Amino acid sequence: MEELGVKNMGKVFVAGVGMTKVGRIFNKGYKELAMEAVDKALNDAGIAVSEVDYLVVSSAFSDSLLNQVDISSILAQEMGIDVPAISVNTGESSGVAALEAALNAVRAGKSNTALIIGVEKLSEFPSAKINSSFSHVLDYEIEGIRGIAPINYAALLLKEYMKRYGVKRDDIFQWAIEMHKRAEKNPYAYLRFALDLDKARNSQVISSPLTLYDVAPLADGAAAAVLVNEDLQTTIRTQPVEIVATASATAPPIYLRNDMLDMLATKKALERLRTTVKFKMGKDIALQVHDSFSIYGFLALEELGVCGRGEGVKAIGDLQYLNVGGGLKARGHPVGASSLYALDETVLLMRDSFSGLRYDGDAALIHSISGAENNAWLALLKR
Amino acid sequence: MAGSFEEVRIMKNSISIFWRKRSDFYKIRLTKCLECGKVSFPSRTKCPYCGSKNVRIVEASGKGTLVNYTVSYYRTEDSDELQPRIIGLVKLDEGVIIPAEIVDVDPDSLRKGLRVEAVLRRLKSDDPFGLIYYGLKFSPVLK
Repeated sequence: MEELGVKNMGKVFVAGVGMTKVGRIFNKGYKELAMEAVDKALNDAGIAVSEVDYLVVSSAFSDSLLNQVDISSILAQEMGIDVPAISVNTGESSGVAALEAALNAVRAGKSNTALIIGVEKLSEFPSAKINSSFSHVLDYEIEGIRGIAPINYAALLLKEYMKRYGVKRDDIFQWAIEMHKRAEKNPYAYLRFALDLDKARNSQVISSPLTLYDVAPLADGAAAAVLVNEDLQTTIRTQPVEIVATASATAPPIYLRNDMLDMLATKKALERLRTTVKFKMGKDIALQVHDSFSIYGFLALEELGVCGRGEGVKAIGDLQYLNVGGGLKARGHPVGASSLYALDETVLLMRDSFSGLRYDGDAALIHSISGAENNAWLALLKR
Repeated sequence: MAGSFEEVRIMKNSISIFWRKRSDFYKIRLTKCLECGKVSFPSRTKCPYCGSKNVRIVEASGKGTLVNYTVSYYRTEDSDELQPRIIGLVKLDEGVIIPAEIVDVDPDSLRKGLRVEAVLRRLKSDDPFGLIYYGLKFSPVLK
């Protein structure tokens, strides 16, 4: 791995990580979930809360579902700290956006020890209300108001994908089956059970041809991480994992794309990442891709260059270090926290092991998108 | 009456959004970019492809062809418990693809290439207290 554009910037490391179990957690509110993740992350890093000097919070629906604007100040109050506290919202990809905000603060010298919290608490309301809020990751004035939901676009993409590449409906279920295998071993995952083809095949249609097991379950959860600068790196007790770079892009809505199967934002974000750092993309890299719907998982693998177009189904069996926690599909999708779960799982994997899996590569990539790929965010990690 | 529990009747939907954007709900308006030449849906002040503000708003005929569709049972606050909703991509005769709800059709008779046209239908409603909000959906062209 060769760093191209960050020579003069200080290195930033993940010193601590902490996650709650993902699920419908009726006996805990968002503050309890956030504090549980924070305590674990600070404890992991071996630092006191008073040492935190910058806070970034990622939550996609705190405003619409928890009636809480400015959640970062409220959580700072809850922790008893008086630091700069900002909230980040880029929809489903908010976690990596929060990571970038914290990374920038440390690199700019505004922070030595930055705390990132991703928290989502969705189960306060019935599914119809949660689904309405989730639909608002699309353009409300154009799509939302006309009753178009992200799942409908995923269904249209799935149909187009199967037709173009001759992929069978059953083949697509391989994504869910593989993700459930991983989630079974992840103590924090929501859907910790094995899935077989029969069960997947017989699940209810949500938006044809897409069925229940193609859809990541929206869930509650919190994941936190502590970033430190180079000077503090030697004082932390865990093996540091470096955040080498982040990159992102937005792209036109899918109905305006020449080819709706192109993940344009992901493509652009990857190009930008590659102007900052050289790294090898292959089947053996530790990779977390956004699979809010299984079709996005396949499209992401192909857009990121892990395999050729239409070859995701064939490739997935060989990808040992793909979505080690079960992905959004089986770990669960606590929206604003999801890509911070991906970060935490990946940090643990690179440090020592995660879910009993050891990884000896030196790089890892996290990919996150929002809606029908209105934006894409990438983060590159180094051991 | 003070102290009594009277239901407060607050509308769920914004009247001003529907009023302000009525031209885009009652017509299909496209943005033609005079810089890059691309045409896009719906009307915007800048071209979504190149960012130019040198655009002209043009009205589409409202006729097109179904290119893709899904039958959706996804529940939201606006969905009907008993009725699936059909969401499709329609290629307008002007060549622009737009997302739209497809109505007045048996899902089994849907196919790619079906000729469809814009029809005025209810989008949302504040029944029983308030307004009904209308907009365009698509249905098969009657022969």
